[in-house]
Amino acid sequence: MYVLIVLVLILGLCKACIKRDFAAGETPQLRPKDELILADYPIEQNVTINGIDYLQSQAPIGKFGGTFVTSTIGEGPKTFNPFNSKDNISSTMSEIMYDGLVTTNPVTGETIPKLAKSFTVNDCEYLVNLRHGIKWSDGKPITADDVVFTWNKIILGGYGNTSTRDSIIIDGKLPTVTKIDDFTVKFVTPKPFAPFLRMLSSPIAPKHIFEPAVNRGKAYFDGFLSTNTRPEEFVTSGAFKIKEYVPAQRVVFEKNPNYYVINKNGQKLPYLEKLVYLIVGDINNQVLKFEGGELDEISLQGANVARFKEMEKHSNFTVYNIGPDMGTMYLSMNMNNRKNDKGKYYVDQKKQVWFQDKNFRQAVDYALDRKNMVFNIANGLGYPLFTPETLNSIFLNKDLKPYDKDLEKSRELLKKSGFYWDKAGHLLDRFGNHVEFDLYTNAGNTEREAIGVMVKQDLEDLGMKVNFKPVEFNSLVNKLMATLDWDMVIMGFTGSPLEPNGGKNVWLSDGTLHIFNQRLEGDEKSRRYPFENRIDYLYTQGALATKFEDRKRFYDEYQAIVYDEKPLIYIYSPIRIVAIRNKFKNVYPTSLGGVTHNIEELYIE
Amino acid sequence: MQILLYILKRILQTIPLLIIVSLISFFIIRLSPVDPLAELRLNPSVSKETLQAETQRLGLDKPIIVQYAKWAKSFVKGDLGVTSNGEKVSTKLKERIPNTLLLTTIVIFLSWIVGVPMGILAAVNWKTSFDRILTVLTSIGMAIPSFFFAVLLLIFAVKTGWFPVGGLTSSNFLEMSFWQKVVDIAKHLVLPVTVLFTLSLAGLQRQMRGNLLDVLDSDYVKFARAKGLSEFKVIFKHALRNAVNPLITLLGFEFAGLLSGAALTEYVFQYPGLGRLILEAVLKSDINLVMASLMMGAVMLILGNLIADILLIMTDPRIRGGQA
Repeated sequence: MYVLIVLVLILGLCKACIKRDFAAGETPQLRPKDELILADYPIEQNVTINGIDYLQSQAPIGKFGGTFVTSTIGEGPKTFNPFNSKDNISSTMSEIMYDGLVTTNPVTGETIPKLAKSFTVNDCEYLVNLRHGIKWSDGKPITADDVVFTWNKIILGGYGNTSTRDSIIIDGKLPTVTKIDDFTVKFVTPKPFAPFLRMLSSPIAPKHIFEPAVNRGKAYFDGFLSTNTRPEEFVTSGAFKIKEYVPAQRVVFEKNPNYYVINKNGQKLPYLEKLVYLIVGDINNQVLKFEGGELDEISLQGANVARFKEMEKHSNFTVYNIGPDMGTMYLSMNMNNRKNDKGKYYVDQKKQVWFQDKNFRQAVDYALDRKNMVFNIANGLGYPLFTPETLNSIFLNKDLKPYDKDLEKSRELLKKSGFYWDKAGHLLDRFGNHVEFDLYTNAGNTEREAIGVMVKQDLEDLGMKVNFKPVEFNSLVNKLMATLDWDMVIMGFTGSPLEPNGGKNVWLSDGTLHIFNQRLEGDEKSRRYPFENRIDYLYTQGALATKFEDRKRFYDEYQAIVYDEKPLIYIYSPIRIVAIRNKFKNVYPTSLGGVTHNIEELYIE
Repeated sequence: MQILLYILKRILQTIPLLIIVSLISFFIIRLSPVDPLAELRLNPSVSKETLQAETQRLGLDKPIIVQYAKWAKSFVKGDLGVTSNGEKVSTKLKERIPNTLLLTTIVIFLSWIVGVPMGILAAVNWKTSFDRILTVLTSIGMAIPSFFFAVLLLIFAVKTGWFPVGGLTSSNFLEMSFWQKVVDIAKHLVLPVTVLFTLSLAGLQRQMRGNLLDVLDSDYVKFARAKGLSEFKVIFKHALRNAVNPLITLLGFEFAGLLSGAALTEYVFQYPGLGRLILEAVLKSDINLVMASLMMGAVMLILGNLIADILLIMTDPRIRGGQA
């Protein structure tokens, strides 16, 4: 019997090998720029039928029914309460179910109405008109009461994740929200505050469901609409509503019958009957599931892109290039010059001399071969990056030009600061100390590990000795945020291409993520570097100005300072590549919206 | 009565053991430089106030010994506490335990009903070509690392399309009829069961074969044969009864592995069992969840040994004699 089992297995494996795979040997060339698709997405328009203010899809009319299966990596959502989510997956899940008053135009990045019919901005005043006649998934009307309740009680009341609230306290004051009539709400900020408009995209909660929970206090609210809540208890405004959650396996959404988007025939969208998110543990499993036909859509990275591009020719999916990612990869030096509570310097004094020297930082920057890294690590699918704002950001300072690796310039800069080389080519500082330091990144992230190896090689060209040490993620964060005993690190952030103020925790000198010169809790007075003071000023002013041009000026200057001072040395932005099955129509991938920004319009042919 | 006293004594002995296990585990987890809030800290959109609130909620601002005392107090009361996401640990575990049990019981059941007879057959046909082929195959089975075998099978599933790629149920599971559901789960179970079955079968078969060979060589078996008993009677009535003792001890260990033995395979197959839950919990230092699983592991091991000992007392008159 055992023999039989093994024989069957061997036969099966043979079959697996016989099945045609793509020809090995040739590596398909991808020319990212040529393949960037130009978004010709027709934006949805307001339309009033029988006194009901619908949003009308302008895309071709499709067929109803079917399921779209996509996936998320990790342990799955932690909550389905949109106000409690602190991680990306939970936020994604709640955004599917709860619409905000406004949203982002997936092509241009402007703020456009969503749950609201229209809005007007006048200095500190935001007047929002709601749609007449639209309903929650349980049939109750969506009115100004829901909006006022959501803002006054939940968001400004400090329930759940208070990050939105904390970021709109201006001079110790919060905005006020008042109901004008059943379909008009007025928001007033204490001072002009540009980022506020985008905050109106916060989800709106159904008052009749959330009010009892709010009344029972904050502790109860933390567990409200958790992953253990029965799906029938959810009342949503978005295109979909949760149907089933199976821990560690999947989240299934079903269509919201009362959704307020219609097609040109006046039929209620979404076309899809179900939307499924599979919860997968890692990238490899995700790729296998796509190849096995269990997934309809996948984001691809590195070597897989070339393989999928080749498979595309005889498969039923299309690979899209949707432009630079929102993520930024950077190298940072610890510029900390303070002592810990035991009176010891966080950073070795001789190293402080190097890391606090602008010439040294610039020399490191010029030694990096970004093009080579993009080519070898991202398989050519990325753009060298020199600014803290990502390449698809509407605030990107385009005057800051990219440059190539220039060892000569690096050496010159080092000489200027008194560094010199011994006979063996080792770099020494002006006190005669060998330049040697540790470079960290989080172990397990193959991309960052590969960058680390290449950075090490590049810096060794300058005679520096680099000890590259990948460390487990959580321990690394402990080093960066609490013990502060590190020299150099390769990390990444996800930025926002629309709102630089989202980066204030990184750039304000007392920010929680001011990684290159982290100040611990309670440290408000320690000396700032002049450029830190300047960025503090620019960030504060940038948020208070309301006109785009004025804001752009402040944010341009901050980018120029970072470009020159190099507290963070940006390396590259990967390109986002997405594969999606051909049977889905109305697919309009855009750089800002990804593939699923118009999920209600997707249909199966 | 005697047996009851014995059991009581054993149960009392476990209490200090559990205290020591919990102390060591708790301190090792908390002293390791792992920050449970790492992901939140690196998220630029999370505010300082939220971070502080989280630190307080998880009790990270208190000394370790206070944290331990708090945990121990609620554990004794039967409350396992909440995970770092604020969900009840007991509900989390309840979600996963049936899945893991389903997988491991099938594997144990299969490997015992196949492994033991195979071991007997191999021992009886000692040094024949049948025995040799089995020896080669079981050596292969023992030598293949489980995760590697699992990955091979996953690739096999993708390329042939015969089996689903990991998981336990299909995405349209809710709409299936009862029998479709059974078939769906069975299809998902084939590959992980194959991996675990191959491994445990190999070990079990070798063990059974070895034990029986030892016994077959002993004087009383020779005597039974000389007495003119049929070969069947010799083996099943005399030899087997004596050869089975080490296997009962093994059964105790298998019991301990019911909940934790399949972690690696579960992870590769994305099986929604305890293994994956605990691994994720360890990585982000979710203390209550990790402690609950460690304590569960310890209790299962102690219980498994106890059951094995009781079974031994019942099957083996020699041990029973020693007790009396």
